[in-house]
Amino acid sequence: MTVGRPVSHSVVLLVRTTLAVCAAVLFANPAWCADPNKVLHIEFYVAETGFDPAKVQDYYSFVVIEGICDSLLTYDYLARPAKLVPRAAEGLPEVRDEARTYVFKVKKGIYFAPDPAFKGKRRELTAEDFVYSIKRFKDPVNHAPYESFIDGIVGLEELKKEAEKTGKFDYDRKVAGLQALDRYTLQIKLKETDYTFPYIMGLPNFAAVAREVIEAYGDDSNAHPVGSGPYRLKEWVRSNKIVLEANPDFRGFVWNFEAGSDPLDKEIVAAMKGKTMPQIGRVEISVIEEQQAAWLAFQNDELDVLHLREQFAPVAVPGGKVNAQLAAAGVTLNRITDPDLNYTYFNTTDPDFGGFAKEKIALRRAIFMSFDNAEYLRVIRKGQAMEAQYPIPPGVVGYDARYRTVVPYDPILANKLLDYFGYKRDGDGYRSWPDGRPLVMRYSSTPSSRDRELDELWQKSLERIGVRIQIDKNKFPEELKQERACHLLSRTASWIADYPDGDDFMQLLYGPNSGQNNNACFQLPEWDRIYEKTRSLPPDSQERSRLYRQLWRMAEFQGVWKLHDTRYRNMLVQPQVIGYKKHPILLAEYMYYDLDNSRRRK
Amino acid sequence: MPFDRPHTVSPSLWALAWKRLRGDRVAMVSLAIVALFILMMILSGIGLVAKDWAKEVGVNYAPPTLQGPDTETSAPAASAGGPSAGQAAADEPTEVPVQDPLADALAAIRGETKKPAAAEAPGAESQSVDPLADVMADIRAKGTKADVSEARAATLPLGGDKWGRDVLKKTIKGSETSIFVGLAAAVVATFLGTVFGAAAGYYGRWLDDFFNWFYSVFTAIPYLLLILAVAAVLQQKGLLTIVLILGLTGWTGVFRLIRGEYLKHKGREYVQAADAIGASNARRMFVHILPNVSHVVLVQLSILTVGFIKAEVILSFLGFGVPVDVVSWGSMLNEAQNELILGKWWQLAAAGTAMAVLVTAFSLFTDALRDALDPKLK
Amino acid sequence: MTAYIIRRIWQMIPTMLGVIVLVFILFNWVGGDPAYVLAGKISSAEQIANIRRQLGVDQPYWVQLWIFVKQVLTANFGASWSTNEPVSHILATRLGPSLTVLVPLLIISTLISIGLALAVAYVRASLTDRLVMISCTIGLSISILVYIIVFQYVFAYKLGWFPVQGWGDSFWQNLIVYASLPIIILLVVSIAPDLRLFRTFVLDEINQDYVRTGRAKGLSENRIMWVHVLRNASIPIITHVMAQIPGLLIGAFLVERFFSIPGIGREVILAVERSDFPVIKAITVYVAAATMIFNLLADLMYKAVDPRVQLK
Repeated sequence: MTVGRPVSHSVVLLVRTTLAVCAAVLFANPAWCADPNKVLHIEFYVAETGFDPAKVQDYYSFVVIEGICDSLLTYDYLARPAKLVPRAAEGLPEVRDEARTYVFKVKKGIYFAPDPAFKGKRRELTAEDFVYSIKRFKDPVNHAPYESFIDGIVGLEELKKEAEKTGKFDYDRKVAGLQALDRYTLQIKLKETDYTFPYIMGLPNFAAVAREVIEAYGDDSNAHPVGSGPYRLKEWVRSNKIVLEANPDFRGFVWNFEAGSDPLDKEIVAAMKGKTMPQIGRVEISVIEEQQAAWLAFQNDELDVLHLREQFAPVAVPGGKVNAQLAAAGVTLNRITDPDLNYTYFNTTDPDFGGFAKEKIALRRAIFMSFDNAEYLRVIRKGQAMEAQYPIPPGVVGYDARYRTVVPYDPILANKLLDYFGYKRDGDGYRSWPDGRPLVMRYSSTPSSRDRELDELWQKSLERIGVRIQIDKNKFPEELKQERACHLLSRTASWIADYPDGDDFMQLLYGPNSGQNNNACFQLPEWDRIYEKTRSLPPDSQERSRLYRQLWRMAEFQGVWKLHDTRYRNMLVQPQVIGYKKHPILLAEYMYYDLDNSRRRK
Repeated sequence: MPFDRPHTVSPSLWALAWKRLRGDRVAMVSLAIVALFILMMILSGIGLVAKDWAKEVGVNYAPPTLQGPDTETSAPAASAGGPSAGQAAADEPTEVPVQDPLADALAAIRGETKKPAAAEAPGAESQSVDPLADVMADIRAKGTKADVSEARAATLPLGGDKWGRDVLKKTIKGSETSIFVGLAAAVVATFLGTVFGAAAGYYGRWLDDFFNWFYSVFTAIPYLLLILAVAAVLQQKGLLTIVLILGLTGWTGVFRLIRGEYLKHKGREYVQAADAIGASNARRMFVHILPNVSHVVLVQLSILTVGFIKAEVILSFLGFGVPVDVVSWGSMLNEAQNELILGKWWQLAAAGTAMAVLVTAFSLFTDALRDALDPKLK
Repeated sequence: MTAYIIRRIWQMIPTMLGVIVLVFILFNWVGGDPAYVLAGKISSAEQIANIRRQLGVDQPYWVQLWIFVKQVLTANFGASWSTNEPVSHILATRLGPSLTVLVPLLIISTLISIGLALAVAYVRASLTDRLVMISCTIGLSISILVYIIVFQYVFAYKLGWFPVQGWGDSFWQNLIVYASLPIIILLVVSIAPDLRLFRTFVLDEINQDYVRTGRAKGLSENRIMWVHVLRNASIPIITHVMAQIPGLLIGAFLVERFFSIPGIGREVILAVERSDFPVIKAITVYVAAATMIFNLLADLMYKAVDPRVQLK
């Protein structure tokens, strides 16, 4: 995996073959020729699961899927905040009936990569492929994790219920809300107004797969992704290594993004404008779970781009700039805020700590006020995150930079509150309930070392206000199960945006989502009523932002969540990587940047 | 009757062993070191030493005194250098007209402070909108940061960990936990192995078959999986869990040895003699045979202790180590994993060295003990 | 002999049954419910029930147990619950890397340990002997975790003699480039205890009468050591080495994890984290079977090396 070694025989062979193929292809498809000598080495922190877009849900699997399969929409590589642009579609969809109907036109002349399932024929991408791909999410056999994202489409639910009864999903049945009006036109009808639907079509989950391929490979579809995108899967050693190579049948696209206000953009545009993409011929992805190993590998130039783990940020990028050693080697830092949120919740349906009586609210608020976010950011996040005061992170529509929390770190006030409401301290200094029972807060976490640090910090915090803590350790699946059943009292959770709209975050507190993503099991009818109003408002409206502020202030007063932080994502980039800019939502950026082997060190 | 002749009692096994041990210099030195650690463990246990190990007395990652204080700035301030987000604190916070259920309570609390309501509120918070404004301003004026920090040391004798806790104290306190876990788990494992082995070896026949079968099943399952499974069953309730995890999975070696010993001794004359005088099975097993087998038991106990002290480190790595309010060498080494790369080597060195010294001394002593008790094995 | 082998294999059955039941109870009881993780971000109770039906965990326990037994008999454990990769494929592909590290390790470690044990026994009770033994003890007392962290930092990172992590495509590249540092670390950790043990075995033999007879007959010390003593000491040595092999497969998980080697040990940890029952079951059953078979092989080799041994 070390690059910079003399070109081996197999690579020479590959180049010759590719040149021959290029010559043939150029006559048929004057699009591209990715350079097979440009081999990109990147890493995954966590192992992938598989590459069937309907079956998987993890971030890393989609980094691969997004490069292989085409979704209707995607995001502009440079534009910030994130902006939707067409990918397989000709343009942004036509929106009708107050965002209840969407019409997409699929580009003509897009072809799937060759595969034995196509029996030698060249296979064009059609609107029907998207119909099929979306229908797959409702097929019980796939138990698609993202199924509920398309719950809003008229007629799909009935098809699923039938499949459950008969045991087989009828893909040929026409669905009123999901139709291919002609070969290239897709019409989608939703049950309710939903302005965020285009974002859903921008998710790599809903990219197009071909029916013949799925039917040919059946259960093994995870190992045989076939798409119309710029890359295809060359090699896969599960949980260890993934190799992608440029798809010879890809139509190619010309790099023509426009620079925004970021000074980095101008450099990127200068370097990349006009190039036919993809340029990188081969992407080699290693799964490296140990932080130390990944960091050392990057320093040895075994990786081209590294998502720098927090642990090493103080050494690698002290004060937000690369250290002297890295700078001398030409390494640059690309830092963004992830559209994520980390928070600790209280289960408001808990018999002891829950409910909305004043003394319970005070207890929860006091506990939240005992936690020092500044220390958390300094010691646990090592300065690689910013404090979150609003449940919508920067870069996401609906973010409010001016909102200030009404529950800041204030242990003295916290103590006073607890005294006021009768949580007296007993002989050993710890508080009990007003009726005399010992007061113990149950906090759940997993056995990982990160969670252990958080445990220590929560313990310190509760010591300040004299509350005992009981730390329940569980493996993550077990924890999730109990959380869904509303059995946990508190846990520190995170949420990363699937798409850059505030609704993705506010829905976490919506009553009916209890037992799913509303892990606080927060149910307050007046809150829900206001939330439902926001769903029918356009995303960039003032009214929606105003309502969001109200919603969050209510939640803060009720003591449901303690916000902690939004993380920075530090990407270290070797000098040979050209045109790199980390996008907050895009995953398969490797199709948008380039490698210049002459710039490697030594 | 020659009762007046001096009576030479032939020395017992233990007396002979002790005499041999005394002559072995390495053994005595090892014993002394082990005794020292045990003393440390007792002192720490009763709270005379390292009681405040959890107190943050140093700056984060304070270097050892010999190395000198850290001249670089520590991790950057939380929001320094953050990407454009418009987080300037000078911006006017937005107004939100929502009523606070605790408004009255907070007002009452503020009333208790008896300060004049000279609202120094940074003009942005409108009083009619936010009922807490006065309270917050008032209290802020008095200074709310509870951590009126006593000066934090720039260096500590053996350095500090990420929270600024004294590594020396942690090492001492950690020895208490690690040794306790090692010894307790060894006692459990040895007890189980001895009881099972005695029963199997003494009674034989179907009981022996049963225990052998149980033993085969236990040893056939990969040790790691067994540990993970038992750990998951017991959940995480403290030190007892770890002791049980190690004890319940570590009895097999002892079992085999003790069973062999009991098989050997079962047919010996003194057992038959005990039978002749009417001793019950239990009595024969534990009063007559056990003392003759006890040297094997002791050596096994010793070996297991060492093994479990080391195993605790791996358990911590897997996430089944000591709970958060307890420190052990395992938890220290686990924390040290990612510290080395940052150049913070002292926690690794301290815990690693302490453990190495104790385990070496213990092992050397065990060897000497085994040699002393059964010189044929030399 | 054949009767003995058949009897031993017959005796394996109740043990294997015990393993099956124990594994089943333990992991069904504590294995965690994979349905919640597989269900994803947004899932209703209905979806969870659907997944559990797909995985077959909604059946009564005795049905699941019977399915498990059938799986063992047909050696077909289905597919991983989280990635859908066939379990047999998982095992086949992960075994290679694990063995690439473990087989050379076993060979080198045994040879060095035996050689050193003989050499040290040669000069027993001398200062050299004691020093070597004490170094072994000190080496043993350092946790393997410390070795891995320090060695990876010093030899791979600081000095750059080895790659920090990774695994390649070709066998030779793997063996020489990627497996070297892991093998070295494991050598350091395993030679120490082996040396101590083998030394004991060898010394047991040296004190026997036949050695004195040999010397009296005028045989060279070398011949006595390498031909006679070694032959007799090899019985416990072989048993020890054989017994270790199945445990090594999974035991190397720490090294595999730190060096990103796609082996069985690492796979086990992943499977436990994901509550991937088919993988856990399969690995447990295979390792259990391997343990029993290797024990049998060790006993058979006993007889081959020492015809006096009576196998019962």
